[in-house]
Amino acid sequence: MALRDIKPTRSELINIKRRIKLSERGYNILKMKRDGLILEFFKVLQQAKDSRGAMQERYARATEMIAIADTVEGAIGVKAAAFSAADRPEITLKSKNIMGVVVPEIEASAVRKNLAERGYGVLGTSAVIDETAEAFEDLLESIIEAAEIETTMKRLLDEIESTKRRVNALEFKVIPELTEASNFIKMRLDEMEREELFRLKKIKARSSS
Amino acid sequence: MAEISSGSAQYIYVCTRMRVRRSQLIPREDYLRMLNMSLPEITRFIEDTGYKSEIDELATAFSGIDLVEVALSWNLAKEYQSILAITPGELMRFTASYLRRWDIQNVLTILRGKTQGMPAGKIREVLIPAGALDRVFLDRMLAEDSPERVVEALKGMRLYPVLEREFPRALETGSFARLENELYKGYYERLLAETKGGVKGGRVFKGYVQLEIDIRNIQNLFRLRAQPTLEDVREMMIPGGSFTVDELQRLSTAESRDEFIDGVKKQVTLPPLLNVLEDLRSERPIHEVEIALTRVQLEQMDRVSKRYPFSITPILVYLEQKKYEVANLRALARGKEAGLPGERIRSYLVM
Repeated sequence: MALRDIKPTRSELINIKRRIKLSERGYNILKMKRDGLILEFFKVLQQAKDSRGAMQERYARATEMIAIADTVEGAIGVKAAAFSAADRPEITLKSKNIMGVVVPEIEASAVRKNLAERGYGVLGTSAVIDETAEAFEDLLESIIEAAEIETTMKRLLDEIESTKRRVNALEFKVIPELTEASNFIKMRLDEMEREELFRLKKIKARSSS
Repeated sequence: MAEISSGSAQYIYVCTRMRVRRSQLIPREDYLRMLNMSLPEITRFIEDTGYKSEIDELATAFSGIDLVEVALSWNLAKEYQSILAITPGELMRFTASYLRRWDIQNVLTILRGKTQGMPAGKIREVLIPAGALDRVFLDRMLAEDSPERVVEALKGMRLYPVLEREFPRALETGSFARLENELYKGYYERLLAETKGGVKGGRVFKGYVQLEIDIRNIQNLFRLRAQPTLEDVREMMIPGGSFTVDELQRLSTAESRDEFIDGVKKQVTLPPLLNVLEDLRSERPIHEVEIALTRVQLEQMDRVSKRYPFSITPILVYLEQKKYEVANLRALARGKEAGLPGERIRSYLVM
């Protein structure tokens, strides 16, 4: 805000004072929100680290199991068993609110199945297929969990970033500029008052002489 | 004279040929050597051992490890068909019946593939025409435009009554598990029925089939016990072995692994099986349990075939040994490709 654009009037001063008060209140609230979001972020960060670790472990296990299944049953046997998968897992996306940030809540159904639900018969397959299917069900479950946690983390980070930008803007730009404008108006009003007083004195002196 | 030529002479002829073929199977030492080879060396070894023609034939359509696997499967199918061609009379009937499990596998693969809308080419890659349904018939089934038409195409064949009964339910529920189990149960029921009626060699064949049923049921019990939610396993058990289905159900509900193994041991008399069951008391992955039990089955079948050198058993033992030769070579190639350590691959080999 350039000082030359400011009208040095009392009403403007009142207006600016009101804005300074509002900005300071907003600044305090946003600072609290930022601190709260950071605390929340660190909680989610720990969960994300755990879920990422679990996902990597499960991925390694699933990769190992598919290699073993290919070894024991052959890719032909594994593909033939894979034809049995009839039901695809369904994902329902809901949302929840963490300090004003809308984050996803993912619910998945039919990820983990028992032997009867997998679609292949027991008599035509071997246990390595069960173990492989189970390993991939575990992996899918942790991918869904990690997706929820990591999206939450990303949204929190974005929100922290924008809140921080707002706090900084208020702290280092908006409030100092408004204070400067307020000081300027005060100074101008004082000056105008002194000018008026001087003018009155001059008129009085001229009229008395 | 006619009696002799249709009886024991044929048995001697076929069993001798099987013995010759068995001697050409890859020996244990070669598998151990292959464990230390790289994948290209294994591929070259496979090419040098009688799988060359299939590898050459399929080289235009497949490459790398897939070529090795498909070539092995084709060779297996060709070998089985050639055995059926040289086996006469009753022996041929038993052998053909025994090989019908491949028909079940192929029909189920086609039905599942068609239900999921897979292209025919993709389904064809997964078929192994080692049973009574040859490649031409399987291609005809693949050309059908719906799974219902595939079932219709099987009208008049052995599998049809079970398919007719179970297929509508499979389509309704979207799961072929029950249909698959029923087809395999029907297969074993039929095998046992064929051994009745005083057919020559029927008793030996029956013993062989019952051993296979017992081993399969024990393997499946180990497998089903690892599942937390299954309560009734009757539907997944094959009747006709040493255990009744109710006994198998009781065993499946045994509290602990030790109690379960004790229950199985009570009804098993085979010493090698008793020894393996004792070893299985410690917790280990189910697929390792299955492999250990399969080894017992093969060793026992080998022993029986030596006791009855001119019966159906040498043929069946050869069929199984050939199947496991293919499985072992595939395991070696796939295991090397996946970077599994040699010791690990060795534990999956049936030698």
